[in-house]
Amino acid sequence: MEVSDEELMLAYRDGDAAAFERLYARHKGPLYRFVLRSIRERALAEELYQEVWMRVVESRARYEPQARFRTWLYTIAHNRMVDHWRRRGLSLVSLDAEDPGENPGIEPAAAPGSEPERALEGRERLARFARALEALPPAQREAFLLREEGGMSVAEIAHATGANEEAAKSRLRYALAKLKKAVGDD
Amino acid sequence: MTEEGRDPKVSARYAELAREAPPRELDEAILAAARREAGARPAPLVAPAGRRRWYFPLAAAAVIVLAVSVTLQVERERPDVAAPQAMRDEPHPASPAAPAQDKAVVAEPDRARQAAREPERPLVARPGAAQRGAVVGVEPSKPAIESRRFTPDPGPAVAAKPAPAPAGAPAAPPPVAEPSRASAGVAGRIAEEAADTPERQLERIAELRRQGRHEEADRALAEFRRRHPEYRIPEAMLQKVLPPR
Repeated sequence: MEVSDEELMLAYRDGDAAAFERLYARHKGPLYRFVLRSIRERALAEELYQEVWMRVVESRARYEPQARFRTWLYTIAHNRMVDHWRRRGLSLVSLDAEDPGENPGIEPAAAPGSEPERALEGRERLARFARALEALPPAQREAFLLREEGGMSVAEIAHATGANEEAAKSRLRYALAKLKKAVGDD
Repeated sequence: MTEEGRDPKVSARYAELAREAPPRELDEAILAAARREAGARPAPLVAPAGRRRWYFPLAAAAVIVLAVSVTLQVERERPDVAAPQAMRDEPHPASPAAPAQDKAVVAEPDRARQAAREPERPLVARPGAAQRGAVVGVEPSKPAIESRRFTPDPGPAVAAKPAPAPAGAPAAPPPVAEPSRASAGVAGRIAEEAADTPERQLERIAELRRQGRHEEADRALAEFRRRHPEYRIPEAMLQKVLPPR
């Protein structure tokens, strides 16, 4: 039976560095993509990503498993990103506003396929999806990324972003509708 | 939407995007910081196991031993600090008021405090301290006081040194300090002479030999050897203190 995130974090709190390594290995990819695709500026995203983990490390002595570790981790990440947006002069309200997404940071993966035409078509499909994701308002994109990368429920998304469940559900619904349209255009 | 907030087609397409991961350097920096923090914990919440289990008891024992040693050392050194004061009062040993004066020197205004410290004082003079000419203990034992009071000052300028004889006159035997009292048992007095150095005690024994008081000299020599078993008598002095053949 696999050790839970919460047990690993408690072990790390008690001085077990190896427990943190296991925890980090589990969450590093999803959290990194969540931050990177939310910020879309690699250097800044890496800086924020490191800050999030440092906050986890520094808070270990006070850690109590009142919620899922995953929710706690993404709550920290959300707060760090809000700070970042504030520094950039964006208010929390504007997170729901449309974002043109001038900097395309999401890269489509190489599409599988043996024939060059199909490969090219696959890359174009992915590029369209990536652009649609980038075009989402930050709050909707964040809700979608929390769902996909964090594997979080609507309630957990609401908790992590400090919104009520209705707002979280609404953001997620809008995001999915836009992305579905991008997929349906294929 | 088959599941709240999820669409399988959208999720599948999202999964086709590149699966970026943090650079290796970033991973290593974070993990190193986490290990440092884990190692810098003030105290584990679980009991330490293995070799680490002995660190705290050993450290505590070392601190206690060190503290006790320092305390004992300070206690031993304290009487030496008082010695000069006691020695300054010695020029009046023959005065009838001397015992009271000795006590006055010894006594602190706070008699209660003195009484409290009483058990800590050595009851007899320590040989090592006697050799240094220091009075051991704030209040020396009665024999030690007596010996200081009724024996000549062992200092070189006083009675132990014979007066220069007139030129041409045969060397008179040097006067023995207070012979009437000395006859009461020189050997015993030498034994009690805590402030005397071994050399001076040997001089006395040699003096007894010169005066032909061999019985007393034998007793004094025996007492000397009992008190200073480690002392090696120089050859020249040995000829003077041993009984004549």
